[in-house]
Amino acid sequence: MSDVHYFFPPAAAYPLNRFLFALKSDAAARARYVADAQATMRDYGLDEATRAALAGFDRDRLVALGAHPYLLFMAQVRLTMEREPANFEYF
Amino acid sequence: MPLVAAFACPHTPQLLVRPPTEDRALVLRVHAALAEVKRRLTAARPDVIALIAGDHIEGFFLNAVPALAVHVGARAAGEFGRYRYAFDVHEPLARAIVEQSIEAGFDPAYTQDVPLDYAFYVPLHFAMPSPPVPIVPLYVNVYLPPQPTPRRCHAWGRALRAIVDARPERVALVASGGLSHFPGTERYGAPDFDFDRALLASLAEGRGAETARLTGEELDKAGNVELRTWITLLGALGEARAEVLAYEPSWHHGNAVVAWPV
Repeated sequence: MSDVHYFFPPAAAYPLNRFLFALKSDAAARARYVADAQATMRDYGLDEATRAALAGFDRDRLVALGAHPYLLFMAQVRLTMEREPANFEYF
Repeated sequence: MPLVAAFACPHTPQLLVRPPTEDRALVLRVHAALAEVKRRLTAARPDVIALIAGDHIEGFFLNAVPALAVHVGARAAGEFGRYRYAFDVHEPLARAIVEQSIEAGFDPAYTQDVPLDYAFYVPLHFAMPSPPVPIVPLYVNVYLPPQPTPRRCHAWGRALRAIVDARPERVALVASGGLSHFPGTERYGAPDFDFDRALLASLAEGRGAETARLTGEELDKAGNVELRTWITLLGALGEARAEVLAYEPSWHHGNAVVAWPV
């Protein structure tokens, strides 16, 4: 994608980055995704290749599709915090 | 009123909500350094804390990407896991920074309503003075290229110092960010701690102005895109010599807590 770790987000990847932003920052969107991943991804206008890459959170493929690495990272953190609350210590 | 305190703090969310991947003893050592910041901030009796931080694509998504921005709302609020934060914003100082930065040629955006990023509230969770004081969130774009150059950040910091020095309030400046880390990339487990150590040594000698000559590419390569927030602060501090309160490299992050005399 680029020589730098954090690259200019390609416009074609806007639906994917919009979806990752929602997973990261919108608890209601996360809940919808957990309840029905396929329907939620379709609602965000994601194509089949993107939905397939998201199924396993395949970072290399998603970054190649234009996903912002940080959005990918924190979307996964927030999903994990809700899936495994007992594993997190709040200070 | 001159500046009354200056610090740089990490904000990695694992300090706030620790997953099992993190060394608990290391996290507690960083907390201890942030407790020292809180002690010193309380002793400095600031009327307001202006925090310089990079948004983690929380307040600003791709609908608008400001290089520099100021929160001028009445309140700034954000949430992380079970935590909910809401801080009073010091409107007179925030507004003065916007107006006078524009007069000085910097053209920051301003907002009265974006969610507050954890880069602001993680340091405040541990270091807000007692009793708490209002804040001014100052944003420097770090994660959405093209980011402002280090030279530009340093120059804005110099302008911020001139603005703050002419204000009636006692102002503390806190940079939030760094040091080396690569969240979401293949380098996540391999930060550039050599870069961090060389940087901290030069800051301890008062050579902060040299950071203005770094390039954006060098910052990206070193996992230090967030150093722009420090560089902005360094612009406000001139040749002050840094006191490193802690440097705690974890498996993915160079946690640094630094104080400067003002």
